[in-house]
Amino acid sequence: MSVEVEVDESDLAEMVEQVWESYLDPEGVSPLIPTYDENQPSEVHSSVSITGSWTGHVVYASSRAAAKRAAAAFLAMELEEVSEEDMSDTLGELANIVGGNVKAMLPPGAQLSLPQVVLASESSARYPNAQRISGVYGMWEGEPVSISMWQVSTDNKEEGA
Amino acid sequence: MKILIADDSRVMRQIVVRTLRQAGFGDHDLIEAADGQEALDKAVAENPDLVISDWNMPHLTGIEVLRNLRAAGNNVKFGFVTSECTPEMKSAAEGAGAAFFIVKPFTAERFDEVFAPILG
Repeated sequence: MSVEVEVDESDLAEMVEQVWESYLDPEGVSPLIPTYDENQPSEVHSSVSITGSWTGHVVYASSRAAAKRAAAAFLAMELEEVSEEDMSDTLGELANIVGGNVKAMLPPGAQLSLPQVVLASESSARYPNAQRISGVYGMWEGEPVSISMWQVSTDNKEEGA
Repeated sequence: MKILIADDSRVMRQIVVRTLRQAGFGDHDLIEAADGQEALDKAVAENPDLVISDWNMPHLTGIEVLRNLRAAGNNVKFGFVTSECTPEMKSAAEGAGAAFFIVKPFTAERFDEVFAPILG
């Protein structure tokens, strides 16, 4: 049985804004500027899965440049010091933070997975039986960043061949 | 004072350390644990004055670490910093004897509000 998800785009946008205020743009000088373009490109992505009262995935995707900049902000380093591992750990933590906040808004009985990071485009990911139900899409200092929610359909209807 | 920071994310441990410094608590002795088992081991071996723990960690979750400590008669001041915050988790934390519950993302102001009464 699936429940109506109670997290909408404005909730996601608020969570994302808090991440920017706390870690990525504490000075308030480079916010995520909405593009409303769900097809914007990405080069890296991370996700957490939620199972239980709602089943699906929360996905953070961005360009490599934006991921590098996020790692520099998270770790208080210069851009040129950021390693692949820094970028990967930062992407995992970003998915974890947004996923945890999403989980908090769901009915009781949801479990959050540990994050998964893939240093490849979000379009390379396949979430079986999942459909994107909402997302925040924007540009951060000219680089694409998106956060989206994918709901797994829990009915077992066969899809057409 | 000695503060143990337990989080399986290296990035988040660094953010917690930095935020403690920003909130004016950087002079304390800060030690780290990268999973729940290490947190439990260090909470016993290192005898910290305060444990700041993530909830969702490999091997032992944060709440399991706290329950293990209390079951062994260890009353170290212990609280959570987590991205997940449901009413059930909060009440489980309080029931197990947690002193605070901080939700990620957090700010230095939030750290100051929670830790000033504890760390002085």
